[in-house]
Amino acid sequence: MKKLSGGLLALVVLCSLCVAAATSVYAQEVGVSSVEFPYTGNRTAVWVVAQLHILFAAFILGAPIFVVISEWLGYRKQDPRYDRLAREITKVTVILFSMTAVTGGLFIFVLLAAYPQFTTSFINQFYMVFAVMYPALFIAETILMYAYLYTWDVWKGEKKGRHIALGVLLNLVCLLILFVINGPTSFMNTPPKAEGVSPQDFLAAATLWDKIANQSWFPLSLHRIDGNVAFGGFIAGMIAAYMYMGAKTQEERAYYDWMGFAAIWIAVGGSLLQPFTGLLLAYEMCDYDFSFCPYMMADQLSMFFEMQGVMIGLLFLAINYYSWLSVKRIEGAENVRITILAPIVLVVLLPVMMWVMNTYWIPDPMSLVFLLPLTLSPFLLGRFVPKTVSARTVIKIGFIIMLISDAVWLTPAGFVATGSDMPDDMKLPEGWDYLSSMPAKLSAILTLVFVTVVNFALYNRTIKQGTILWGKIDFASQFVLIFLAFTSTWIMGLMGAVRSLLKKYFHTYSLVSDLSAESFTPTLSYSSGWITAITVFFIAIVSVAALVALRPSVARVREPEGSPVPIAAK
Amino acid sequence: MGNIFKKLGAGLLVGGVLVGIAHSQELPGTFQLLFFIVSLIGAMVFMLLDARPLSTMSGEKSLFVVIAFWILMVTVCVAGASLLPQFNPADEKEKIDKLLKSQRAASQQGKAEELIARAKALDEQVKALEERLKGLGSGQATVASLTLPAGDKPSSTAGASSGGGGDFMKVGEEQWQLQECYNCHKLRGEGGKKRGPELDNVGSLLTVEEIQQKIYDPKSFMAEGYEKEYQKGIMPNKFKDLMEPKEMQALAAWLGTFKNTSVNTPKPIKKS
Repeated sequence: MKKLSGGLLALVVLCSLCVAAATSVYAQEVGVSSVEFPYTGNRTAVWVVAQLHILFAAFILGAPIFVVISEWLGYRKQDPRYDRLAREITKVTVILFSMTAVTGGLFIFVLLAAYPQFTTSFINQFYMVFAVMYPALFIAETILMYAYLYTWDVWKGEKKGRHIALGVLLNLVCLLILFVINGPTSFMNTPPKAEGVSPQDFLAAATLWDKIANQSWFPLSLHRIDGNVAFGGFIAGMIAAYMYMGAKTQEERAYYDWMGFAAIWIAVGGSLLQPFTGLLLAYEMCDYDFSFCPYMMADQLSMFFEMQGVMIGLLFLAINYYSWLSVKRIEGAENVRITILAPIVLVVLLPVMMWVMNTYWIPDPMSLVFLLPLTLSPFLLGRFVPKTVSARTVIKIGFIIMLISDAVWLTPAGFVATGSDMPDDMKLPEGWDYLSSMPAKLSAILTLVFVTVVNFALYNRTIKQGTILWGKIDFASQFVLIFLAFTSTWIMGLMGAVRSLLKKYFHTYSLVSDLSAESFTPTLSYSSGWITAITVFFIAIVSVAALVALRPSVARVREPEGSPVPIAAK
Repeated sequence: MGNIFKKLGAGLLVGGVLVGIAHSQELPGTFQLLFFIVSLIGAMVFMLLDARPLSTMSGEKSLFVVIAFWILMVTVCVAGASLLPQFNPADEKEKIDKLLKSQRAASQQGKAEELIARAKALDEQVKALEERLKGLGSGQATVASLTLPAGDKPSSTAGASSGGGGDFMKVGEEQWQLQECYNCHKLRGEGGKKRGPELDNVGSLLTVEEIQQKIYDPKSFMAEGYEKEYQKGIMPNKFKDLMEPKEMQALAAWLGTFKNTSVNTPKPIKKS
């Protein structure tokens, strides 16, 4: 009897479990999320986890590019500091690799819980990517990443070339991952379409390649490649700042001063390309559907772009301030002079460019006929003009130009959240509205890039004529490095939100609507709170990873740097 | 300290001059404030450029300063973004509710139909069991027919408008707002950024059917003087997928009522 009642009880429990399971499966079948994330809501929960994953992924995809460049420079220049920099960043990357995997897994779980029906159909669209290509490439990247780290000591000296080749192979796999995963990402913004065919019909007949190679796929990938290099550099700069602050000896301080400097200049190289690839991405998006343009620039997202202008303006000011502080610690910098053409071009560039861009708007190549000779003239004609100006004066003029460019960038058509609600008394009056035009914005961005390039040229000239005192940089520079890492991460968060919000009330633009009550554009204030929280969390994890990866090795390994302090610039 | 006062003075002076110029040109106050703030940031930048080097810190002191610096950055970012004008999501929510009303209803309908189908299947199983049980006895089990509500498809937003002509026109006007046509076209003196032609006289130049054709297929007509925009395909070819036919008809009919000949709506040229 006892056995029978026990059996019945087990049967009842089993039946109950089956019913419960069937209920939950049924709930998913009809597209109802059985989960409601507390406090954040489903959409913000997905956003936070996705953005965190993207930040870690951006670092582990960007850092290997940065690392292998550094290793190659060390090999070519026979400077062990580059090799040490590459190795230290690789150690941090390996730790953050696991964070990328963890947040990636979490992202899928959260997405499945929050939007079960959409996630299932989306995975079905790209099952070859999600089930085969991405995992295979991720495993390959893991193997190569560990092999790269653990063969560092084995493949040195004559075998160094082999190690660098392994790094290049690792980068190729990283790039493949980036291109592959950007397929589904960009698909959600710009699913393929054709004239005269409904999007649903076109999609039903589309191949996997059609879906991956959508209109924004390639520009997004390009934008992310140079963005990742810049991001990796800025994060490496912050790690250098932390290590500089914690350094116990002057030798260590000299090394981490140098590391911050090298990281920032690699980051700047990536940053200078960002406006061009970003513009290409925006151009392709607007070409796909012109309604993206007013949504970004004049309507719901206009103040997001205002904030982007503020942050990028500050980023460029900080980069050039770091450059200024770097020049200040070079002995003999005060004697360095440059052709007077440089400050003249700096002063006239913004207004000339605004006129040219207004007259010959992109992609009209006529603008280059005016702008290329003007921007190249200090470099090509400078030696023929005897009049010179002190380098420091030119850098200061550059700062004034940067501030004016920032002001132009920040001038909107009106200080209101949406153009459609703009009262006349908030608009720029006629005659001044050119300040808010796209040609003016682009001119401002390009002027910021040009000033930075001039400062880089000046810096190079200064180190050739003076002596760098490594480890003697103004301590304020370390805060600039931290600021740059924070700002670049914040901007990535902001622009990530913008790219995702461009889908408006769709999961996949114009194809799959987001029927939840959360499918609206959040306010900038709300978004900035979450972007800041994501940034702080990410940087805190990176900081811990850097301390864990680098502190013991600093204590154990004391390789001779071959660069006494102070050293003469090479 | 002298450095700070000198730079601050210069910043205030430049800011004052810029505000004066902006004021004389009747730029709104927020723009004057923007120029003044940029001048002050400029003063701060030049204070930093000429500031004395910060002495090296280490240990707890540097940790404390780094944390303080982080708090400052976080505060500036959140406060800065919150000070800018904020878009009111309620406006957009209202629009999205209208746009997704039919899809949401269909989704609810889908759920209801699924439930009904499952209930039917269960009911049939119960009936089959009943019949088997009764078959064991009299074999005259009566099967009661199950009648379930048919569940008509919900009408779309336009469906509600099929009554009077006034309602129909209201749907047209609503579509103008929902599809955000005003972002590119000026109408009644509102909206538009010269991306598309002003439409106040479109009713005199095109029939309702032709307007509908243009919305359905943006390549069907080209506005004179908008050759570049036409070539670029600036008008999105998506409205046939986003709007119900009735909604598009209503929008076209509503636009067809605009016959203000004092506005220079460009001449449409038939293309395909």
